[in-house]
Amino acid sequence: MNFNLGLIPLLPFLGATVLMLFGRKWARDTVFVIAALAIGAACMVSMYAFFAALPDAGPGGLQDIVTTWIATGDLHIDLAFRMDALSGVMCLVITFIGFLIHVFSAGYMADEPDYARFFAYLNLFCGAMLVLVLGDNLPVLFIGWEGVGLCSYLLIGFWYSTTANADAGKKAFITNRIGDLGFLIGMFLLFYYTGSLSVPDITTAASPGGPLMHTLWLGQPVAFWVAVFLFIGATGKSAQIPLYVWLPDAMAGPTPVSALIHAATMVTAGVYMIARMHAVYVLVPSAMAIVAVIGAATALFAAVIGFAQNDFKKVLAYSTVSQLGFMFAGVGTANFDGGVFHLVTHAFFKAGLFLCAGSVMHAMSGSGDIRIMGGLRKRLPWTHGVFFVCWLAICGIPVFSGFFSKDSIIAGAFATDIFKEADLAWVGKLVGVMLMLAALGTAFYMSRLYFLVFSGDETRADEKTKHHIHESPAIMVVPLVVLAAGATLIGFIGLPGDLVHHPEYNLLAHELEPVLGHELEVPHNIEAIFMVVSTLVAGLGIALAMVFYRGGYKEPARAFAAKFPGFVRLVQDKFRIDEVYDLVLIRPIRAFSRGLFAFVDRIIIDKILVEGTGVIVDVFSRLARTVQGGDGQRYMAVFAVGVALLVHFASQPTLPFTKLKVTQTGRAVEIDARRGTRAPTRALEYAFDFGDGRPVVKGASPEQRHDYDRPGSYTIHVTISDPRWGTEDGFKEKVEVR
Amino acid sequence: MNPANAATAAAGYSAPLGQQVLFYVLAAWVAGFALFTITRRNPVTAVMSLVATFFGLAGIYASLDAHFLAVLQVLVYAGAIMVLFIFVVMILNREEVAPLALRPMRLLGVAAAIYLLAVFANVVGVGAPTLDAPPVVADTYGTVESIGGLLFREFLYPFEAISLLLLVAIVGGIVVSRSHQKEVAATRAADYRKKVEQLAASDYPRTQGDEPAAAGGHH
Amino acid sequence: MPAAHYLILSFILFLIGTAGVLLRRNALIVLMGIELQINGGNLALLAFARQLNDQKGHVFAFLIIALAAAEAAVGLAILVGLFRSRQTINLDEATLMKR
Repeated sequence: MNFNLGLIPLLPFLGATVLMLFGRKWARDTVFVIAALAIGAACMVSMYAFFAALPDAGPGGLQDIVTTWIATGDLHIDLAFRMDALSGVMCLVITFIGFLIHVFSAGYMADEPDYARFFAYLNLFCGAMLVLVLGDNLPVLFIGWEGVGLCSYLLIGFWYSTTANADAGKKAFITNRIGDLGFLIGMFLLFYYTGSLSVPDITTAASPGGPLMHTLWLGQPVAFWVAVFLFIGATGKSAQIPLYVWLPDAMAGPTPVSALIHAATMVTAGVYMIARMHAVYVLVPSAMAIVAVIGAATALFAAVIGFAQNDFKKVLAYSTVSQLGFMFAGVGTANFDGGVFHLVTHAFFKAGLFLCAGSVMHAMSGSGDIRIMGGLRKRLPWTHGVFFVCWLAICGIPVFSGFFSKDSIIAGAFATDIFKEADLAWVGKLVGVMLMLAALGTAFYMSRLYFLVFSGDETRADEKTKHHIHESPAIMVVPLVVLAAGATLIGFIGLPGDLVHHPEYNLLAHELEPVLGHELEVPHNIEAIFMVVSTLVAGLGIALAMVFYRGGYKEPARAFAAKFPGFVRLVQDKFRIDEVYDLVLIRPIRAFSRGLFAFVDRIIIDKILVEGTGVIVDVFSRLARTVQGGDGQRYMAVFAVGVALLVHFASQPTLPFTKLKVTQTGRAVEIDARRGTRAPTRALEYAFDFGDGRPVVKGASPEQRHDYDRPGSYTIHVTISDPRWGTEDGFKEKVEVR
Repeated sequence: MNPANAATAAAGYSAPLGQQVLFYVLAAWVAGFALFTITRRNPVTAVMSLVATFFGLAGIYASLDAHFLAVLQVLVYAGAIMVLFIFVVMILNREEVAPLALRPMRLLGVAAAIYLLAVFANVVGVGAPTLDAPPVVADTYGTVESIGGLLFREFLYPFEAISLLLLVAIVGGIVVSRSHQKEVAATRAADYRKKVEQLAASDYPRTQGDEPAAAGGHH
Repeated sequence: MPAAHYLILSFILFLIGTAGVLLRRNALIVLMGIELQINGGNLALLAFARQLNDQKGHVFAFLIIALAAAEAAVGLAILVGLFRSRQTINLDEATLMKR
């Protein structure tokens, strides 16, 4: 069914354009209204499309083909958008949370001189993200993919005058780019083997006997490699091992940016992409195993790093990496509903957490160091309340949204049967265990964060900062509250209804069924067990944190740090992965390019090609100069000689080295005295003497035929003369007559 | 020469004896004096023999019934142009050590020219129009009146153009050959005057006792 | 007389003029050689004019004489200028354009 889906990304793009062109001259309120209006209108249209139009649409959902983009040879790509349940859910999340963050930013960035630029970039980002989720074919998706990468770069390095911020932006973009290479290779493979890049076509082609199961490299089918390469792109965009290193550095950007891009939306693009391509992934369980294992490993690894971080936003950043790991583990175990569900709940509570961070940092005069915080519970009541709710959600305490989504993923990991075919059933169990540990870690570090910042009575900062602490204005608090509400309630769209024999209670799975297929079947007992176990695990984590950090740095924390200082520092330094990358990758590349510069640039291009050309020209011109002596009389002499030569050769009847053409047939001989095959251009006289005593045949024709009376060997003389010039040429030819 | 051509040539027209003698005498005169011109060491002698060549040439023109041009040849060429040459010779009279530069390339050029003469003679000796008897021409052929009529009617434009060309040549000749000494002196005087004025107007440090008024009053 | 004789004479004149141009060092003699060449051409023109009974050749020759006058004037002026700056009319020493 056709619907003007192009409007949804268009509105924020328009907002961005208008603000970039004129924003600087307008009042702040105007700028904010335009930006908020753009995203708000996009939200309205998305909601209308999703709730009103989509139910009536056919199986393909809502379509919008804006124009034909590329039509050459076998390649046909339209600028086409499609809203089905999956992209609809994503649209709602992006536009709604985007809107809330726009509102929050009006307050947070109130003192910012580059106000208009910020909102322009925010709008641009939302537009690009919407293009990404609404894209009906991979190139359009990739446009959005690249667009959000660009906006991420622009927004991370928003305060570019500080070198560190600009470097963080660069790091994000470059790491992304590495992943994008994988994405592109995946796209190329898909196009080569299925002839199309449009999602419906690929989904149809992804069948067990289809073109994608053709064996490619290392005994694995095309689908496997497509899955792997696309996943490499996802690791870049969604910060998984090994390309996660940009996300913590990205905290250099303004906090609303971290909330929107690096929590709720951009980083989830990878998960979305895998859900979109689920048909391909399902064909190759081995690839899914890779996805699941890397996801779970990332979840655990990032959680551990989060134990020892001292910057508020950095803790949240590693938390995001960890939660993304959960999502990937979910889609990797064929629990696509679960992955998307966690995506939605995470968007709410993580955005809430980040905005709380912004609120707290605003109160602490811009500092995010949790070591000097504490006791903010009383002084920032609203912020505390929101953080409390989101904290419980992320830990997975029942009733709050995180409980349902996390539980769905963990239970799904243990219960999945996708790996049975490939003899990889142990993968599911392994992933499950790792996720469980990661959940424990999540509870621990988030509680650590909560206790260090909000609990206790004393704030550990100095007097001047303490004096400044105040609650945020309403424009910042209201979005916080909305997000907290969402974090609480949104879990109910994904209730594990089949436990109580009402599968339709799981609204989300029900919605997504046309797109993602039937939800993962989890045996009731496993489901129930894990509900209990995960709650216990969460409680354990919180309890541990309480012991270590309730009210501040307590004795066990200090003792641990004193006993294992090296380990603590290692974790704090994020296991020195960045340093490893620097040593192994960056330095060699730099050295290589330096070498390349010295050799190719300086020697080959500058010396050989540029200077060399000059030298060659110089040498040849020196040579050429010897011809001209500046002596006019000599020139005349040469001229005369030239004329003489010309006249001489022009006056000859025939060219030098011409030969007579003699054809013999029996006793008859035919002679052709022409030059080449064309008639001569001047009037020449020919004299043929056939050597048998008969008189010489004279005439103007170059061809002559003669019959010999007797056999023998004769010598034929032909004389060609030019009557006008008075020159003549003679030819001899011997002929044998039988 | 090609035997075929010789036969044709032999069958051609032969002029009355008087004409032939006249022609050969004048031809020898012209060619002789021309050779003389280019081989003299003394430029004055060369000029004089060139004048003689032109007189002979005038005679040849007359034998071709080109009366107007014969007179013109004497008046303009022998009279005006050669006088010009003499004037220049008087200004630049120098003698050379070795007049002829017998360099290989140049000799080759002369040889090439001689070869071309041979080819030319061959061709001309065969061609029909050049060996026929000259047609009978009217009495007005080559007279001042008839040539003048052509010049002022059909060929007026080239005639006027050539007068313009002569104007240009006059101007060009004067410009190229004028003396620059007076100019150089005038320029130097102007420069000096300007420098003095500049010094007078500036705060040029003066030794004691000098008065600016005195320096400015000199000119 | 048939035109052929006059034509050959004109070529001989031209040849002598060329020899003078090529083989002499004195610029004045070179210029005189050029005059000889021009007159050779003139003679050829007049010979053809007679043979073809056409007076246009005379007009052409007339114009050529005027042209030769102009050319001689300018050429001599240049020669005088050359002499003034180099104090020589020896063409072998006019080698400023030589490398």
